[in-house]
Amino acid sequence: MSEAQPETDARKIAEDARDRVRFEEEVLELSDQVYRVARRLVPTREEAEDLVQDTYARAFRSWRSYTPGTNLRAWLFRILTNLNIDRGRKQQRTPDLQPMEEGDYYLYNRLEESGAGEDEARVVERLSQDSIVDALASVPHNYRDVVVLVDIGDFSYADAAQILDVPIGTVMSRLHRGRRILKQSLAESAVAEAS
Amino acid sequence: MVVDPCEKCEELIQPYLDRELTDVEKVEAEAHLDSCSYCRKRYTFEASLRRYVRTAWTEPMPVELKAKLSALRTPL
Repeated sequence: MSEAQPETDARKIAEDARDRVRFEEEVLELSDQVYRVARRLVPTREEAEDLVQDTYARAFRSWRSYTPGTNLRAWLFRILTNLNIDRGRKQQRTPDLQPMEEGDYYLYNRLEESGAGEDEARVVERLSQDSIVDALASVPHNYRDVVVLVDIGDFSYADAAQILDVPIGTVMSRLHRGRRILKQSLAESAVAEAS
Repeated sequence: MVVDPCEKCEELIQPYLDRELTDVEKVEAEAHLDSCSYCRKRYTFEASLRRYVRTAWTEPMPVELKAKLSALRTPL
């Protein structure tokens, strides 16, 4: 039986349209999270808005490459980070990093030195919101991508590895390094503000 | 070689906060944090720093951008 079956075809088209609408709605529900992460990946609000729009344009275009039932959030953020990496390749090169000898507690120690006896949970409140934003922007993008995905996007190491297409060990080492750079930069601005 | 328990704890604090430790490592980290005020202080600091970074200066998504995203949808 090789004749076309109009009813079957019509049903298929209707199912396809329904799947696409559902996909687009689910993707749009994630837009606040996408914007929040994009806002920390790139330096300005305008660039973040462009990045988010490009991400959605590509996601809507390539919706068929998403496998239903798999992690939609990771799929969408992979588009976001890939677009950002392409953009980064055009605009900047990762600067050479200075060797860092300080441990994880460098920032804590610096803040503690300047405010003896203060409650640990409140020590961070002496950091200004601007200094956190500036410090994050100062982290080279390879490391910043991982820090933003895990610390702001709340992704697991495995999801971040999938999104960035790197081994999980790379996620862990970049995260470790990125957080150290972030804390060192925060410590420097805290010391500068205090003096 | 004897591993310094506080050094070991420093290694575990970040993955602990990321909820990435195995059950055994989690028990190990919690046991050390319960008994060591030095590491507990630093844990509290790291946890509050993490919260602070997460919420730092995030303005809501502009409504115009939301509208632009919806407009990108495939027309039916």
